[in-house]
Amino acid sequence: MNYRTFVTAQSLLMTASSMVFPFYLLLIRNIGDSYSQFGLAYGLFALTGALVHPIIGRLSDRLGDRTFILVHTWGMAGIMLIIPIIETVTALYLVQIVMGILGAVQKTSEKTVLARQSNGVQAGKKIGSYHLWTSVWGAIAVMLTGYLIDFLTIGSLFYIASILYLISSFLILKSAAVPFRVQRKKPVQL
Amino acid sequence: MKGKYLLIGISLYGIAFYTSTSIHSLQQKTVVIEDVGKLLPTRMKEVKSTQSTEELQNWVRKEKTISIAGLQHSQGGHTVYPNGTLLDMKSYNEILNFNPKEKTITVQSGVTWADIQKKINPYGLSIQVMQSQNIFTVGGALSVNVHGRDIRYGSLIDTVDSFRLLKPDGEIISVSRDENSEYFSYVIGGYGLFGVILDVTLQLAEDELYEQRISTMDYKAYEEHFKSNVQNDEQVKMHLARLSVAPKTFLKEMYVTDYVLADDQKKLTRFSTLNEEEKVALPKFMLGMSRYSDWGKDVFWETQKKHFQNSNGSYQSRNNVMRSDSTFMEYENANRTEVLQEYFVPVDEFASYIDDLRKVLEKEDLNLLNITIRYVEHDEDAVLSYAKDDMFALVLLINQGRSQKEIRRTEKIIQKMIDVTLDHDGSYYLPYYSYPTKKQLKQAYPRIDEFFQKKRELDPDERFKNLFYEVYAQ
Repeated sequence: MNYRTFVTAQSLLMTASSMVFPFYLLLIRNIGDSYSQFGLAYGLFALTGALVHPIIGRLSDRLGDRTFILVHTWGMAGIMLIIPIIETVTALYLVQIVMGILGAVQKTSEKTVLARQSNGVQAGKKIGSYHLWTSVWGAIAVMLTGYLIDFLTIGSLFYIASILYLISSFLILKSAAVPFRVQRKKPVQL
Repeated sequence: MKGKYLLIGISLYGIAFYTSTSIHSLQQKTVVIEDVGKLLPTRMKEVKSTQSTEELQNWVRKEKTISIAGLQHSQGGHTVYPNGTLLDMKSYNEILNFNPKEKTITVQSGVTWADIQKKINPYGLSIQVMQSQNIFTVGGALSVNVHGRDIRYGSLIDTVDSFRLLKPDGEIISVSRDENSEYFSYVIGGYGLFGVILDVTLQLAEDELYEQRISTMDYKAYEEHFKSNVQNDEQVKMHLARLSVAPKTFLKEMYVTDYVLADDQKKLTRFSTLNEEEKVALPKFMLGMSRYSDWGKDVFWETQKKHFQNSNGSYQSRNNVMRSDSTFMEYENANRTEVLQEYFVPVDEFASYIDDLRKVLEKEDLNLLNITIRYVEHDEDAVLSYAKDDMFALVLLINQGRSQKEIRRTEKIIQKMIDVTLDHDGSYYLPYYSYPTKKQLKQAYPRIDEFFQKKRELDPDERFKNLFYEVYAQ
């Protein structure tokens, strides 16, 4: 997977997550009918993420980044199909837990991929440019959605996000796969 | 190989996408409704509301299952039915005719008591019978045949001249004690099962000036006080008592407010402006404290008592007595809710009834926040009449959880309380959650079978349905 494809795929993914984020918060607030449930839902997400990080980290070394990014994008594409039809607080809690895990997967793989992009030289520059593009797309998405929401229902927003996640995963799928044994031998892919 | 997996992945995603969007669009088409009891969220097809009678008529002809709603303060799902259409009557609210000379008013059923008070107060008139609060719609009040603080005019049914009913077949008829009279005693206190009440003509009373007479007493002295100082004193027009739920004086101490016709009625004009301002912050805080602790209950009771004692001798117009505060009681909590119960016991049974009730409650863990007591005169006009005798009506405010487990727990206690009530030849009020058993219903309302039979006869397609009917008539 080359750097360009990676950044494009990640930007797309950031676009998807940024555009639904504010509306997702609204949704959590509406389903849980108190702030304590809101807090619990959000805390569950953060806590699951925290707890699975060590496991995910170790797994990542065994399975490779590409697999992980694919798990994240396909997983999120699926979750985006579930969110619009959630009705109970229990379902919401479950979704938060799954998203906590998927979030940890994303955080780990984005860093491992970035780490492989340089052998220590110009690491900062690469990371800087990666964050620039993904954040710019995230920001644009949030602003655009603010306008678009007048024309779309909140439900359809989640469906669009789901499709964006899917496209992002196709980009990764299309890029040349570095066989895992090669990655092991030569962790840095320039 | 890779292509095959991709194809499977895409197909699965496609199926998931289709399923999700179909469920989502189905959800968008229906709407979850719950009444103020918050224990029965129900998915309904649609909420419809209109100001046009023809439109109502068309809907009744067209829709298969209909529930009728006013303010939805009935708490047993009387205004909802799964997949039914909800007729929200609140915007059907015109005052059609007001005749100050005859002292009558004709209003559409979505009109609230507050609307009527605003209209008639300048003419020195007042409502005969209504709840203690004025937020309710007239249609809703008729459907549950309310009573209130007034002790001279009976139940709401006694103040109704006539009404128009939109029948299940779409026909509109006039109903009074002379015309289509068979409907009269079924529709009032009929819980929306016989048709839509379109408009009602009510008899009005004179607005009067009352002097508040407050007395504190032991529950054993209440019956005697009521008989000699209230019932037999024609000057007393309204009455309300409170029974302590504070641990220190639990079901023993009472204080009583009698509204006595003031000697000098000329002073009425000074007091006749309708009270608009509600005191919310302090009572809300006190009630909040009493929800959470016994200590809070004691403080609330003592403060409330002092507050009321201070109003001894003060004046209030009849209209203002009939618009008591309710905002401070609104309660938002994710897991808990507040429900009402109302028990009727014959006046003579009061002291012994309270003793038996205390015996039950001392053993149970029930978060009881308030008990008010009113009086209702013997009246069996309505088929589902609660006033089988001259009765005291005790309204209990209960804080409970919303989970199934909590509902079962409250159910057990409430069934015990109702057993005690029935043992004292009492009865209970029907607009609340379906805690009572069918057997208890039958004992409290001996004509219940006749009521449901008539319902099926007059509405053979069961167009008008609600959860109360679902639970008890099947």
